Amino acid sequence: MMNRTGTDIQIAICGSAGDGTIASGDILKRAAALMGFNVIAFDVYPPEIRGFGKCISRVRISSQQSYSLKQNSDVLISLNDTHAIPHVGEVRDFGAVIYDDNLIANVPEGGHISGHIHPAQIPYGFSIRQISEQATNSARSRNIVILGYLAELFDLPREHFRKIIRDKFATKPRAVTDDNIKAFNAGLLAGSGVFKLDDVVVQKVDAKGNGADAEMMTGNGAVARGFMEAGIQCYFGYPITPATSIMERLAVEMPPAGGKFLQTEDEISAIAAAIGAGYAGTRAATATSGPGLALMAEMLGLGVMAEVPVVVVVSQRGGPSTGLPTKTEQSDLNLAVFGGSGDAQRIVLAPTNVEGCYRCAGRAFEIAETYQTPVIVLIDLYLSNRYETVIPSAHKQFAAKPRVPLAPNGDGAFKRFELTENNISPRAIPGEEGLMHTVTGLEHNELGRPNDAIHMDMNTKRHEKLKPAVNFPGLTVSKRFGDEGKVKVGILGWGSTFGEILETMYEAQAEGISCAAMKVVMLSPLPVESIAAFFADCDEILVPEVNYEGQFANIVCGALGKPVSRLNQTNGAPMAVADILAEVRRLSGKKPKTGQSDTFTEAAL
Amino acid sequence: MNEHVEPVYLEEKLEEIRADGHQGYRSKSLPTWCPGCGYYSMAEGLTFALRRLEIAYKDVVVVSGIGCASRFPFFFKTYGFHTLHGRVLPVATGVKIANDALTVVAVGGDGDAFAIGGGHIPHAARRNIDMTYLVFDNGIYGLTKGQTSPTSAVGFKTSSTPYENSDVPLNPLMMLLSYGASWVGQAYAGHQHDLADMITQAMSHKGFSFLRILSPCVTFDKTDNTYANLNLHVHDLPQDHDTSNLMAAMQAASQTDKPALGVYFKDDRPTLAQAMNATATRASGTG
Ligand SMILES: Cc1ncc(C[n+]2csc(CCOP(=O)(O)OP(=O)(O)O)c2C)c(N)n1
Ligand code: SF4
Ligand SMILES: [Mg+2]
Repeated sequence: MMNRTGTDIQIAICGSAGDGTIASGDILKRAAALMGFNVIAFDVYPPEIRGFGKCISRVRISSQQSYSLKQNSDVLISLNDTHAIPHVGEVRDFGAVIYDDNLIANVPEGGHISGHIHPAQIPYGFSIRQISEQATNSARSRNIVILGYLAELFDLPREHFRKIIRDKFATKPRAVTDDNIKAFNAGLLAGSGVFKLDDVVVQKVDAKGNGADAEMMTGNGAVARGFMEAGIQCYFGYPITPATSIMERLAVEMPPAGGKFLQTEDEISAIAAAIGAGYAGTRAATATSGPGLALMAEMLGLGVMAEVPVVVVVSQRGGPSTGLPTKTEQSDLNLAVFGGSGDAQRIVLAPTNVEGCYRCAGRAFEIAETYQTPVIVLIDLYLSNRYETVIPSAHKQFAAKPRVPLAPNGDGAFKRFELTENNISPRAIPGEEGLMHTVTGLEHNELGRPNDAIHMDMNTKRHEKLKPAVNFPGLTVSKRFGDEGKVKVGILGWGSTFGEILETMYEAQAEGISCAAMKVVMLSPLPVESIAAFFADCDEILVPEVNYEGQFANIVCGALGKPVSRLNQTNGAPMAVADILAEVRRLSGKKPKTGQSDTFTEAAL
Repeated sequence: MNEHVEPVYLEEKLEEIRADGHQGYRSKSLPTWCPGCGYYSMAEGLTFALRRLEIAYKDVVVVSGIGCASRFPFFFKTYGFHTLHGRVLPVATGVKIANDALTVVAVGGDGDAFAIGGGHIPHAARRNIDMTYLVFDNGIYGLTKGQTSPTSAVGFKTSSTPYENSDVPLNPLMMLLSYGASWVGQAYAGHQHDLADMITQAMSHKGFSFLRILSPCVTFDKTDNTYANLNLHVHDLPQDHDTSNLMAAMQAASQTDKPALGVYFKDDRPTLAQAMNATATRASGTG
């Protein structure tokens, strides 16, 4: 992170539910996006729906592309000291802690945050509550006052904040907007004249910045966006954290666009209906998490056997069983790739960032249609809920091509499962003349009639037809970053962890370690050749994953027959750059560095 | 009615189908059911109904679960989807939602419907999806060679209840009535012509129609749901039965010792497709 040029600040706002913490973070990230910065943000909510649990909104604002949240925040803003005190250690040396300095007399010993700020951190106390009350007659706009203070501290363009504040309260009475603008202005005033963090550069974003085109999206929002741009026709879903917001978004957007949306009675029904709709020729999808995917396993096998295109988004959370519904994990890889009975190979795509969620979800239909099979888009809570700036494509790149029906073949001789050169058979859909046939989950001959003798040929067909998917045009299936040619350490990763992997790689390079990283997006079928080429270039291979067994490492070792070093953590949080970096240093033969490298553990998420 | 029908055997059945000249809807695959199985009447009945209603093969999708009953789609020259055990309704729901112009016929056995698939029935019924659900109820698991089913009688001996079944059977008609099915009827495989007529009526209904068809498994049930027993007990619903009266339908459905055949209940209310269109209108702000 040291090697970055331009702006790169991370702000953590911490408060209690009801303090407007998340709303404040939301305005900050949207304003920063509007200014043209790259933004990555992640909100942490209390697991309980009610009460006064802890909320944290972390927003990283940078002028260059960044890939994950930073290990250490530059600024911590406390709206509630009890919740914020454990996070003081997250602030880097010479970083700022912003807090309300008016309350010291009222709190018990040790209850005030000022007593916890490290000597190397810079305290910024001001009377947040009092200023809010003076500006708006209410303490409720404390979360807006701090934004004004921040804008002044970093000299961020005020107008962008004001625009987002107006947008955010557009549906509320006029007075609400006015009060919030007043609170923002009062914060500005309070911040004027305070000394700046002298090691933070805020680059003026040039006029041609992304501002106008870039949109703040969560991974789930990006999935829904990709689906809508692909012209999704049927969606069936059952609520489950952290996938629910995909269905909630589609519930709003599909009906007016002519799409069919149904909340089903369970996940079996959701995938079954999606398969029925896929069989009937529409673009159909569902989204779930691990427990739902477990229920869907038998149906996915039917989709494979009956060769039906369907798209399933899976956002992983901690498992097994009900597990850790509000914590991220990468432990459903085995289930996504192998789950179900029999040899049921399917396509699994695992995007590594929010933009990737948009692209993979958008392209998934075309891939499913091309190979006539289920496609799983595997993400996780960390990707589902984090915000990034994405520039959606201007043209309709995911739209379906119009279907050209085959010539009728009236006498029941249509070979729906014909064994062809490329193992992909002609497909007809109900309503098309003279191509009637029955599909089945039983092993079947070319006509679709139950038949056991042909099992080996059909198994071959179903596996072979997927192999070319690793060369699917316009799809990033795997990609190498970092040093070219031979390197000391190669980091191989998938899914959301790849953001931390890339950040680690840049840090390692800055330390002089020869290092490269490869992301694998298509987890099934596996792009074995490109992974093998990467292996050949690396003295050591490290596979960091947020699961216990190293599920991806297992697959890769199985496919390539080569050992790898694993780094596995399951503490309910994304993997820490510091932890990956320590492993990279060890593998490179470098002595571990001492100093500030607190692990981003539970306290962080 | 109540004419006594002997079990029909495959070869004779085929002769009849050919002679009748309406084999058009039937595929080249011959049913693989045991000779005498009640299910032959259902193949005949659906053929009749499709011809009566003049529905083109290309516009029909027969969807089924798994079981002897669920072999059904293979025997028709329409589109077909032989899915998973218990999952006929959700798959059929997807097909119908994808293309409302299709005629969707869902088919399954009693185990497929009321055991493994029982959780889906209330939802298909309450949503009033415009499809016909034919349950071939033989009170036994045929395909897995004779285990007890949710509609087996107390005291029934099967390979999985060698010391007699002690679970009280479900009442499918009362279930469907309380789930909000908009058309509920009962037929008997032994009354072939009435059965064909009932399938036709069920398919003519706009909304979710549920037809339970009592059918003997001649191979694994020699004691309970035999042609001989059913012939003795089945009878028609009274002429004056009011199909718009839900309580009267419930009352009739509760008489399980003497199963009444006919249309129990019929209600015209918006289908899922109509409800979805209304949602789209509200969503677009044009309503
Ligand atoms: C998930 C699953 N569990 C069990 C089976 C085995 N199985 C196949 S058919 C059947 C029951 C069939 O009974 P029913 O639905 O009444 O149909 P019938 O054969 O009597 O027509 C069972 C248990 C299966 N195919 N799949
Ligand atoms: S086992 Fe029973 S239900 Fe199955 S085909 Fe034979 S008679 Fe019919
Ligand atoms: Mg049965």
